[in-house]
Amino acid sequence: MTGSEKVPVVTDQPETCRVADAEEKSLLRKVMDNFADHCRSRSLFVLHYCTGCGAIELPPTITSRFDMERVGVSPMVTPRQADLLLITGYLSVKTLKRVILSYEQMQAPKYVVGFGSCTINGGMYWNSYATVKRLDQYIPVDSYIAGCMPRPEAIQQVFLDLMAKIDAGKATAWQDYYLNYDAYLGRQMNLFGQDWHTPTDVVAEAKHYGYVGNGTTGEHTALLDQRATWSLDTVPELYPARGRNERSRP
Amino acid sequence: MRPENYRPVSHPPSHEYELYFGPNHPGIEGNYAIRVRLKGDEVQEAIADGGYLHRGFEKIMEERLWIQNVALVPRICVPDPVPMEECYSRAVEQLGGLEVPARAQWIRVMMLEMSRICAHLFTFGGNAATIGFYTNMFWGVSMRDLFLDLFEEITGARIYHMYITPGGVRRDLPEGLLDRLAALLDDLESRLPDFEDLFFSNTVVINRATGTGTISAEEALAWGVTGPNLRASGLPFDVRRDDPYLVYPELEFEVPTMKDGDALARMMVRKAEVLESIKILRQVIARLPHIEGPVRCPLPNPLAWNIPAGDTFARVESSKGELGFFVVSTGGAKPWRVHVRGPSQMHAVQVLERLLARGRLEDIAQIMFSLDACPPEVDR
Amino acid sequence: MTVETGTPATIVDTIQHEIPGIKVTKQGERRLRIDVARDSLPALLELLKGRLGFIHLSAISCVDWPETDEFELVYHVWSYERKTLASAHITIPRNPGRFVSVYDIHTPAGFYERDIHEMFGVVFVGAPNLRPFILTSWGGPPPMLKSFNTREYVNQTYEWVDYQPDWLKDVEAKGGGVEK
Repeated sequence: MTGSEKVPVVTDQPETCRVADAEEKSLLRKVMDNFADHCRSRSLFVLHYCTGCGAIELPPTITSRFDMERVGVSPMVTPRQADLLLITGYLSVKTLKRVILSYEQMQAPKYVVGFGSCTINGGMYWNSYATVKRLDQYIPVDSYIAGCMPRPEAIQQVFLDLMAKIDAGKATAWQDYYLNYDAYLGRQMNLFGQDWHTPTDVVAEAKHYGYVGNGTTGEHTALLDQRATWSLDTVPELYPARGRNERSRP
Repeated sequence: MRPENYRPVSHPPSHEYELYFGPNHPGIEGNYAIRVRLKGDEVQEAIADGGYLHRGFEKIMEERLWIQNVALVPRICVPDPVPMEECYSRAVEQLGGLEVPARAQWIRVMMLEMSRICAHLFTFGGNAATIGFYTNMFWGVSMRDLFLDLFEEITGARIYHMYITPGGVRRDLPEGLLDRLAALLDDLESRLPDFEDLFFSNTVVINRATGTGTISAEEALAWGVTGPNLRASGLPFDVRRDDPYLVYPELEFEVPTMKDGDALARMMVRKAEVLESIKILRQVIARLPHIEGPVRCPLPNPLAWNIPAGDTFARVESSKGELGFFVVSTGGAKPWRVHVRGPSQMHAVQVLERLLARGRLEDIAQIMFSLDACPPEVDR
Repeated sequence: MTVETGTPATIVDTIQHEIPGIKVTKQGERRLRIDVARDSLPALLELLKGRLGFIHLSAISCVDWPETDEFELVYHVWSYERKTLASAHITIPRNPGRFVSVYDIHTPAGFYERDIHEMFGVVFVGAPNLRPFILTSWGGPPPMLKSFNTREYVNQTYEWVDYQPDWLKDVEAKGGGVEK
């Protein structure tokens, strides 16, 4: 699931958005990109969100004994300033909604690491009605750590691997979310119901970043647009009813 | 942000507003949320919102063999998994009429007390971090890590040991472990004064934590508060002493209490409990080498192991309070029903809601951490 | 808080004297099992709390018995003075799964009743709060019912990892495979 060989096909670009096309990728730009990737890999901010039990091994990883800050990885409290989302173990359906909201709030490029067997195939909760079996169906994942639960050394190893991947320009799973947003949204809708939507306009972001592919829009994103009234209140669990908000665009 | 989703925030004339505290919030313990209604920074109402860590344990345990569940139970409470194993194992032993060999009982006590120290050190750290003392967090977590090393040596795992099984423990202790444990206890004891200087006798901490989230003794009893939180309100109740299990009757230890029932008292009780656990562990270290014998009673084929029909309620004092397992068997190879009563089910929901409603926004994290609430235990 | 002191025998005597037709069995040290008619349960809890010092409601457990079409509710109360745990067992019909709340006697019952309502669908009349707590995202039947098959639900709802994808089959057909 990680990375996509598809060349981004850019369609319907508004004039205001700058498009990265093949010509523009001059040598200088490649050098700049490589340099940016290199710098990026040296300073990763991890979103402080304990989604599951693997989070218990994060304090040892952060604190003096293993000290992940020496490799340039540090916790960050808000999703908008974080680069790296750690899915620390199993995800209940309720948490998955929040994880998707947090993931979409993060600024690209963003990376996701799945901790433990639970994110890969459900782990020991394989027959539990409450937990999600495959993380990569709902958000793109860059790396996994196998086992339950991953040791601090394994967590550090995944950081180093991810840094090498970013440095080499191969940590591109986030692009997959834009390129195949419709499929991701479809699977999210299958699980959460057809009313599911997030406040983030992923399609607009895809256009902004220049990663609009054949899979960016489709029947599920059309469903988002078809709704005459758009309201945060349609997810009452997240946003308690306070009055409806009419769609501003015709 | 989709433009159609943008909605200006409007405040009602009362200046009350609602705030989502968690689940993605550094001030929250684990994956948990609280919806607070605020007026200025005074909390008017708090509504706990759990279920983010729900795995349906009670359901999937009904689908697995008695022995398979040993692997599931420690995962119910992540920072303090050993009492879960002990409690489940003891429920199965009571139903199956198994007799735990003496040596295994002593080893179990050792594991339980080590886990208690780990959980308390972790809570020191979390508690300190909520009021800005990160150094203390670093110390607490790194001290705990040395215990995790011993756990790893004994069981092969740092966090989820799956070491205590019905009928005893999985295997005997490695050679020389007790000496290393004794050395670690000396080390911990010599460092506790540093914690004291930095944190517990720090004027800033004392001013900040005094009177925060106070529970009176009457309220504590009425609200079902247990464990260190109950003892911080001046009530010396401890399952280890009142409803003893394993070899606790043979051990000498005190049940520390404090009078005030506030966040400071709860921290102080935990600090005193670490000292008591050190005391218990030293007694175990002195006695264990003289107790010979097997570490597990003979078990039938675990894949075809039927437990006689019946029901039982096993209780253990975890680092957070009274932990109970109600297990029902119909004589089959799988449990018919397992109900987990975690102490945090009270502390993190009803008690927390009531305490927060008297507090202020900046105290939310501190109150939650001082109660040592464990969300996975609530959600199961 | 004055409590009559005495051995468990006096507990049994008191209970049997006050509530006739009740069955009290001693299950090992510090454990009492009380089988009581469901209508007498609130009175029993009042008696245990008020006269015998069982002030701590440890838990309320619910067990589903599809064969007899009943729910079994077990109220575990602990006495700090007598150091005894009394488990009061009652059964209620599954249809309608309805019982009276004991929140006014024991505050902790609020959480357990909410939990049982969520997991088994039992309605507790008079409970202060039966709103969903854990399963707010859940649309299915109460999951702890024996009639709910979690494995079937998982197979319908989630996709498993495909360890034999098509591309791998193609590779294997050509004599290749995954390096082991």
